[in-house]
Amino acid sequence: MNPEFERNLWLEAAPRRIAWAAVAVGVIYGLTAISATRSPDLLATALATAGAVVFGACGLVWGARAAGGAVLNEIGDRTWDFQRLSALAPWAMTWGKLLGAASLAWLCALTGVLVVGVSLAWQGRPDALTTPLFMIALALLIQAICMAAALVGVRKARAEGRTARSAGVAGGLLIGVVLLFGVATSEGFQRGAGLSDLSRLFASKGEVAWWGLTVPASSFRLLATAAFAAWALAGAWRLMRLELQMQGAPVVWPAFLVFLAAFAGGLVYPEAGLPAAQLAGALVCALCAYAAAFAEPADRVRLRLFAAAVVRRTWARALRMAPAAIAPVLLAILLTAKAFATAAITRHWAIEPQLWQAAGLLAFMIRDLGVVAFHRFGPRPQRGDFGAVLTLALLYLAGGILGGMFGHDGGALFAPLPGPPGFSLGSGAVQAVVAWWLAARRIRAPEASAAA
Amino acid sequence: MIDVRDVVYDYPTLRALHGVSCTVEAGAVLALVGPNGAGKSTLMRCIAALDAPTEGTITVAGLDTQADPRAVHAALGYLPDFFGLYDELSIRRSLTYAARSRGVADAVVAEAVDLAAARVQLSDRLDQRAGELSRGLRQRLAIAQTIVHRPRVLLLDEPAAGLDPEARRSLSDLILKLAADGMTIVVSSHILAELEDYSTRMLMIRDGRVAGGGVVAAGGGARDEARVRATFADPPADLEARLVALGVAVERRTGDAVVIALAPGEDAAALLARLVKADLRICAYEPVTRTLEDAYMAQAPR
Repeated sequence: MNPEFERNLWLEAAPRRIAWAAVAVGVIYGLTAISATRSPDLLATALATAGAVVFGACGLVWGARAAGGAVLNEIGDRTWDFQRLSALAPWAMTWGKLLGAASLAWLCALTGVLVVGVSLAWQGRPDALTTPLFMIALALLIQAICMAAALVGVRKARAEGRTARSAGVAGGLLIGVVLLFGVATSEGFQRGAGLSDLSRLFASKGEVAWWGLTVPASSFRLLATAAFAAWALAGAWRLMRLELQMQGAPVVWPAFLVFLAAFAGGLVYPEAGLPAAQLAGALVCALCAYAAAFAEPADRVRLRLFAAAVVRRTWARALRMAPAAIAPVLLAILLTAKAFATAAITRHWAIEPQLWQAAGLLAFMIRDLGVVAFHRFGPRPQRGDFGAVLTLALLYLAGGILGGMFGHDGGALFAPLPGPPGFSLGSGAVQAVVAWWLAARRIRAPEASAAA
Repeated sequence: MIDVRDVVYDYPTLRALHGVSCTVEAGAVLALVGPNGAGKSTLMRCIAALDAPTEGTITVAGLDTQADPRAVHAALGYLPDFFGLYDELSIRRSLTYAARSRGVADAVVAEAVDLAAARVQLSDRLDQRAGELSRGLRQRLAIAQTIVHRPRVLLLDEPAAGLDPEARRSLSDLILKLAADGMTIVVSSHILAELEDYSTRMLMIRDGRVAGGGVVAAGGGARDEARVRATFADPPADLEARLVALGVAVERRTGDAVVIALAPGEDAAALLARLVKADLRICAYEPVTRTLEDAYMAQAPR
C-alpha cells in the first residue's frame, strides 16, 4: 500500500472515527426516512435530497478542507521537510494525501452518492447513472483544486518569507474565483467572444453543442467535470513535483491552456463561427495569465535565473524557469491573431474595429501583469496581492469615471473600450511600458527601489 | 562524500551564502559552526537538496543535488532545527511510516524499525504515542526516523537545542555510534561544547562565507604540542613574576593552574625540570588538549 495513503488512513479512518461517522450518517438518513413515509415518491425525493446534502457537506466541504489541509497541516506541524525527503514519487504523494486525508470524508460522501443514485433509479430518472458519477468527479475536482491551491500557497509563502496558512489559501482561492468570475462576466472582456455560453455547464437539462457535436447536457457535464478533475489532479501532481525539487519541461500548464482554449471555443463555435471560438480561447487564456500572475511565487531569484538563461540561450533551463504567465499571454496573442486572420479570410466580421479593441485588450492585459509584478516584487511581498488588486481597481475606476465624463473616447485611455481606432492600444501600450519599467527596477534591485 | 563548490544562495532580498566551498570526507563528523544567522542552516538545506542554490554545485555521495535531488534525498537523513512528529501515531507506526516512505523494502521494514528504535533506546516504548514523549525522547524518535533507512550521510541541525544534560550525553553517544558505523555526519550548532565530544572536523561559517581555513581538524582531545598546563601546590604570591623571570611564557592562569606556551624547540620535560629546580612545587603537569573552542578561536580571526 502507498505509505502516505496508509499513514493518512491510520490518522483519519481509525475504527472509532468510522463508527462515529456511520452513526451520524445513519441518523441523518433514518430521520429523513421517518419524516417522509407518506408516499414512496416523497421518500425517494427526500432521501435524494438528504444524500445530496451529505455529499455536499462531506465530499465538497469537509473533503476539500481535508485535501488542502493534507499539505498545510504538514507545514504547520513541521513535518513537511521530512516528507519532502521521502522516497515517494510525486504521484504517490499526491494521491496518497488526496484520498488518504479525505478518506473518512469520502466514506461519508459516497453514502450520499449511493443514496442519490438509488433514489434517482427508483424514480426512473435517466440520469440515475450520470449524476452519481458527476458527483464523484465534482468532489475529485474540488479536492484536487484545493490541494493544488494549498501547494501554490506553500510556494508563495516560502518566497515571501512567511508560513502558509489554510485560512490564507482558502481566502486567496475564494478571492481569485470571484475576481476571475467578475472579469470573465464583464461586458468589455466578453465582447465578441460569447463566453456567457459557459453557463450551460451549470444546467444539465437539454443538450449542449460543442464544436458542432450535440451532446445531452448531463453527459456533457459529467465528461467536462471529469476532464477538469483530471487536469486538476495533473496540476496538483505537477506542483507536488516542484515541492519535491524535481524539475522538468513545463508541459502540463501549456497543455491545459490549449485544452481550456479548445473547450471554451467549442461552446461558442456553432453559433458565432470559428473566429469567435478562437477569440473565446484567447480570452480564457488571458484570464489564466492573470491567475498565474497572482498564483506564482514572487521569486526574483528565479526570475534572474530565467533572464540569465535567456541571455545565455540555454533554452531548456529558460523553459524550466519561465514565469507561468508567459504561456497564456503568448497563447492569447496567438489565438487573437489567428482569429483575425480567420475572420479576414472568411469575411466573418467587419474586422477593423474589433481588431483595434482586441489589440487594446491585450495591451491592457500586459499592463495589468506589469502592475501585478510591480506590487508583488515590492519590499513587502506579503501585501503585494492586495496592492495589485487595489491599484488595478483604481485604474479601471478612473477609466470608468473618465468614460462617464467624456464618453468612450476618454474612457478608452484607461480601459480597453470602443473608441477612436488605436486609443486603447496606444494608451495601453504606453502604460504597459511604464508598468514593466517600474516592475523591472524592483525585480533587479528591490532595496534600491524600496529606498527610492 | 560531500562536495560543495562555489555555492551562492539568495533569499529574495538577501544573499545568505557567498561562494561557499568545502569537502567532507567519508566517515567524518563535521562540526558546522558559526554565529546565529551565519548561513549554517541554509547550507544544510542546500546539501539536503531541499533548496536549490542560486549558483554553484553540491554533490552528496557522488549525486548532484540539482540534477538528481530525489536520489540525494534517499542517500541522506536530515533533521532540521525545528522538527515535528505525528503526535497521534505510536512510535512503531511513526518508524514504520518513515521506513516505508524512505524506500525500505516491505520485507525488512519491521527489522529496520526495531534496529532504529534500539539505536535511540526507544525499544521499550514502541507502542507509546509520539505526543506523549518528553522533549528528549521526541528528539530521539526524530533521529530514529531520520536514520531508519540507514543513510550514508546524516545532517543534524542544532540537534541538542533544548535538551537536558542527560539527553545531550545520549545524543553524543548515539552520534559516536553512528560515526563508528561509517556514517558521514554533519552537525551544526553555535554552542561549541555540544560538538566537543564527537566532531573530527570543523567548518566555520561567518556571514555566509567560509571563515578560517575551510574544513580543519576539530580538536577533539588532540594534544597541543606547543602548550602545557602546570598545577602548583601552594603557589607563591609572585608565581607569575617568578615564571617570567625563568623565561617562561604564561598564556593564562586559572586558580593554581597555569597554561604555559613552550618556546620553539623546547621540550616539555626540560621545562618541568627547570620549574622543579626553581623550587616551585608542582602537583600536576600535562600537555594541553585542543578543544573545539581552541580550534574555533584559532580560525576566527583569519
